[in-house]
Amino acid sequence: MTERRLAVNRLRDRLPVPPASIDRFLARHGSPIIEGERATFVFRGEADEVRVRHRVVGLADPMPMRRLPGTDLWAVTIDLPTGSRVEYQLETRRGEHYETFNDPLNPRLAHSPMGSSSVCAAEGYEVPDWVHHDPEARPGELVEDVLRSKALRREQPVRLYLPARYSPALRYPLLVVHDGTDYLEYAAMKTVLDNLVHRLDVAPVVVAFVPPRDRLKEYPNHAPHARFVARELLPTLAERLSLVDHPEGRCLMGSSFGGVASLSTAVRYPGVFGSLLLQSASLVFTDIGKDHGGGPAFDPVVKFVNRYRAKPSRPVERIFMSCGTYEPLITPNRSMVPVFRAAGMTVKYVEARDGHNWEDWRDRLRDGLSWIFPGPQKFVYE
Amino acid sequence: MRTILLGPQRFMTTAGTALRSLGVDGAVATINAGWEEREDAVEELDTVLGGDTRHLRLYHRMFDVIDKDEHFASAAMTFRDSHDALLSLYRLRLHNALDGVYAVQRRSREAQERGRDDHGAFGALDDAVETVRHVDAWYAAQLKVLYAELDERAPLDDSGVIGWHRGEIAAMLADCAALVMPGGHVGSLLRALRLFAVRVPAQLPVVAWSAGAMALTERVVLFHDHGPEGAREAEVFDRGLGRVEGVVALPHARRRLRLDDRDRCAVLARRFGEQHCVLLDDGTALELAPDGSLPAGARILGLDGAIHELEAAHA
Repeated sequence: MTERRLAVNRLRDRLPVPPASIDRFLARHGSPIIEGERATFVFRGEADEVRVRHRVVGLADPMPMRRLPGTDLWAVTIDLPTGSRVEYQLETRRGEHYETFNDPLNPRLAHSPMGSSSVCAAEGYEVPDWVHHDPEARPGELVEDVLRSKALRREQPVRLYLPARYSPALRYPLLVVHDGTDYLEYAAMKTVLDNLVHRLDVAPVVVAFVPPRDRLKEYPNHAPHARFVARELLPTLAERLSLVDHPEGRCLMGSSFGGVASLSTAVRYPGVFGSLLLQSASLVFTDIGKDHGGGPAFDPVVKFVNRYRAKPSRPVERIFMSCGTYEPLITPNRSMVPVFRAAGMTVKYVEARDGHNWEDWRDRLRDGLSWIFPGPQKFVYE
Repeated sequence: MRTILLGPQRFMTTAGTALRSLGVDGAVATINAGWEEREDAVEELDTVLGGDTRHLRLYHRMFDVIDKDEHFASAAMTFRDSHDALLSLYRLRLHNALDGVYAVQRRSREAQERGRDDHGAFGALDDAVETVRHVDAWYAAQLKVLYAELDERAPLDDSGVIGWHRGEIAAMLADCAALVMPGGHVGSLLRALRLFAVRVPAQLPVVAWSAGAMALTERVVLFHDHGPEGAREAEVFDRGLGRVEGVVALPHARRRLRLDDRDRCAVLARRFGEQHCVLLDDGTALELAPDGSLPAGARILGLDGAIHELEAAHA
């Protein structure tokens, strides 16, 4: 069986071509060009160098593009396994001047607190339908609240999600979300919750979205933060709302450093929470020496994780973990699964061909939330 | 006693035909508490049933009780908390017990495929299934204790508001010529039936589907092989009205069960071996015989995990 040649190679075979042919090529294909399990990034313009910038482990970063002879078109082709999703930007060098920007030929963007990136989605990747607004899904309510925290010595804002038809005559599980504002903003978590509750995938749940103030200080095993969550936030919410009064009905969730905050809070207050939902948690550790490669911000993380690995405890019953196979944290996450299991916890671990980003975390929400707080599908027989 | 169990009605509406086949003359009572807050959205149901309906509105009555009887509401909340805790432990035990069954089953299957039958000879699979049945029985016994505690804390017979509703429901049922029980949330439906101690007179013809059909059986088993991540094993939930005996009702079986996984289906059938696991898919209509037995042709899960049609002699 002969494999069809890549579009960019077919163009190369026709060189030299007039600029109008390149115009038509780009209008037809855009960028990146996905052909089977190959992705070709293209850029058009004058520059001394053009490179693809990304954070995919296993691919060169920066990844140089090559100019097609006699044209101002640049291209590079990579292998891209089915179902992959990669965020990237382009970088040009003109003399000593470097510029980094989103791919002008690609309308698909992902957003994060750091700005936006272009998205390269391989064949087989689809944005889950439960991410989009569903007019049939009855919306829950977001309530702004502020707690006076002695532990943090400040007013701590909290956004509370109450599921549709919230009734004080029923009891609800509680999910505490680190980086709460970002989960709402960049992972569409309000819409996701509305949809998953509506579809009976996830039990109606009360969610406390908690933003940090000084994330790098508060999230890697910080006693005041843990005290705030376990000793201030939890009792306050239990007093105000109708919540399940059992560890099994309480889950801490977070991504990246927020995952470390979730685990370290649970370790400091064992038995208070029943489960953790950790997404690409920054569980960096060293087996020997102190060179962890993460920079000073990771020093307290490594100290905490090393200590935990030396003496693993069982602060919760169940942990859901997800991680992108293209992110540097894949090895620490894979390594922690057997450690958690050996400590006696039930672990559900999910990987995706994605990176350390909010859309990856968004796309894994159904797996995680429905495992932690399964919805009542089993009860409904229409 | 005339009882007709139907498949789901969303895509193939047969309830009207089934009701007419009973030749009832008079009003038709409905219990659709499984529809929960949509309980009053009955226009379509009324059309299907011919219009002369009396909706018992058990779900709304249940909330009326909770609103008006604080003592009962508090006791019910305590019961729900205890029941949730029990369910959680039950699921933990169940998953571990079923993991054991599937492990033994895999090994037995592999041994068979290699031409060795020594694993089957030890009766390991039957014994592993027995462990699951034991867990089911333990759960049912503990649930019975919880109900006894609830009755002790808040005797239903002492509640004026519950008594009033019960009287009205019984009177409405007495005035009707048939009862129809649609699907919905089987937990809400069972809770409402229990709260109001609904007794369906033997002589009252009944047409039921989906959750309604499950509620008529002795033991309600929840199942959804394609359900949320954390809840995929079939589990006993509660006792039903017991009008339909010897049956585990499996509505939407084709959509909810992995029927092509013979091993998994075999475990389900063996687990509830003393009862028929009856598939109630779209278009199914089973009128029970006067002695309450299933009619010939009813589709059931066999102990081999395959789907069989019940023959007349076994019905």
